[in-house]
Amino acid sequence: MTPLDRTRHPPALTPGYFSSVTRAPREGLIALDPGEAGMTGPVFGSQAIGPLDDDLIRNAALPGEQAIGPRILVHGRVLDESGRGVPGALLEIWQANAGGRYRHARDGYPAPLDPNFSGFGRVLTGEDGGYRFDTVMPGAYPFPNGPNAWRPAHIHFSVFGLAFAQRLVTQMYFEGDPMIARCPIVATLPTVQAVEALTARYDPARDRPMDARAYRFDIVLRGRLATPMEP
Amino acid sequence: MRQTPSQTAGPFLHIGMMPDTAPLALARPPGEAITLRGVILDADSAPVTDALIEVWHPESGWARGATDGQGGWRLAVTRPASAPFVSLWIIARGINTPLSTRLYFPDADWQDDPAMALIPPPRRRTLVALRGADGAYRLDIHLGGEAETVFFDI
Ligand SMILES: [Fe+2]
Repeated sequence: MTPLDRTRHPPALTPGYFSSVTRAPREGLIALDPGEAGMTGPVFGSQAIGPLDDDLIRNAALPGEQAIGPRILVHGRVLDESGRGVPGALLEIWQANAGGRYRHARDGYPAPLDPNFSGFGRVLTGEDGGYRFDTVMPGAYPFPNGPNAWRPAHIHFSVFGLAFAQRLVTQMYFEGDPMIARCPIVATLPTVQAVEALTARYDPARDRPMDARAYRFDIVLRGRLATPMEP
Repeated sequence: MRQTPSQTAGPFLHIGMMPDTAPLALARPPGEAITLRGVILDADSAPVTDALIEVWHPESGWARGATDGQGGWRLAVTRPASAPFVSLWIIARGINTPLSTRLYFPDADWQDDPAMALIPPPRRRTLVALRGADGAYRLDIHLGGEAETVFFDI
């Protein structure tokens, strides 16, 4: 397995994101070969996916109703570092509603809940690593981090690849959002290229006309080390 | 291609990762059923009440749990027959990139495990569970402070 590229991921301690200060280990990490436990991983098949898990517009809606908000679809591929698609990867998805409110006991933001939206989704990649789900554009919301901090519109992703060492948790942002550059959590990313990699592109070729706009977000997991050439 | 960067799971990870409706689960492999438990504490020893922990080993199976209002977690797995440890993976608000550690069984030959040799001796005990009166293996995880747990780069 290729190593976790620490020039690509945020460091543990990022004082501009206040929550990291008491939750960042200060001792150095002990470098370890991933070993057997890291090279294998839990495998979740299609039985982990409910019939409407890839449709956040309808999966928590009352009969005949739908979630409120700008209708979008998000699609892309899960790849390894050599560009090969990762089939059978499980994506867990969660997000705020169109007003920026989470259906969560600890979210006190006054934007109203949508009775037809839970913000939960799950999808499995196909043979080529491709995935797609339907949802509504999440709203921006404030969070306690100094006098005035806001999260850009974003969707949370948790990804299971083929190995435990490929486990990834991240967030997807939307092209053109002026809040991206102002967010203290986005600012934990080490480079502008890392921010770009988390920014989904509007993809009009995949729009569903008169229905939903499409955004493309590819996800690259750690890859297998190159195997030596056959003699 | 370059790796997609990590971002914190934030405080609302339960919506996607611990849904009441359809929790993600795998069948426990055959073998000795054991319970792992503990608390997760921050650098000020305050409980981390919005964390998620996953355990994995090829022989133990996979399980996940969220911490409760006291930072407590509890997971049911199979004890690996041929390894003295299981891997733990932790995310939460304020954790930018997931933290990886291990729980070693106190009644296994943990001293001889190759990973232990890489750890300064005074810190090795941060990974060794205690066996409680209830039979569960208990490991408290300190994200920082005097008793900071050893975390791995795997
Ligand atoms: Fe969020």
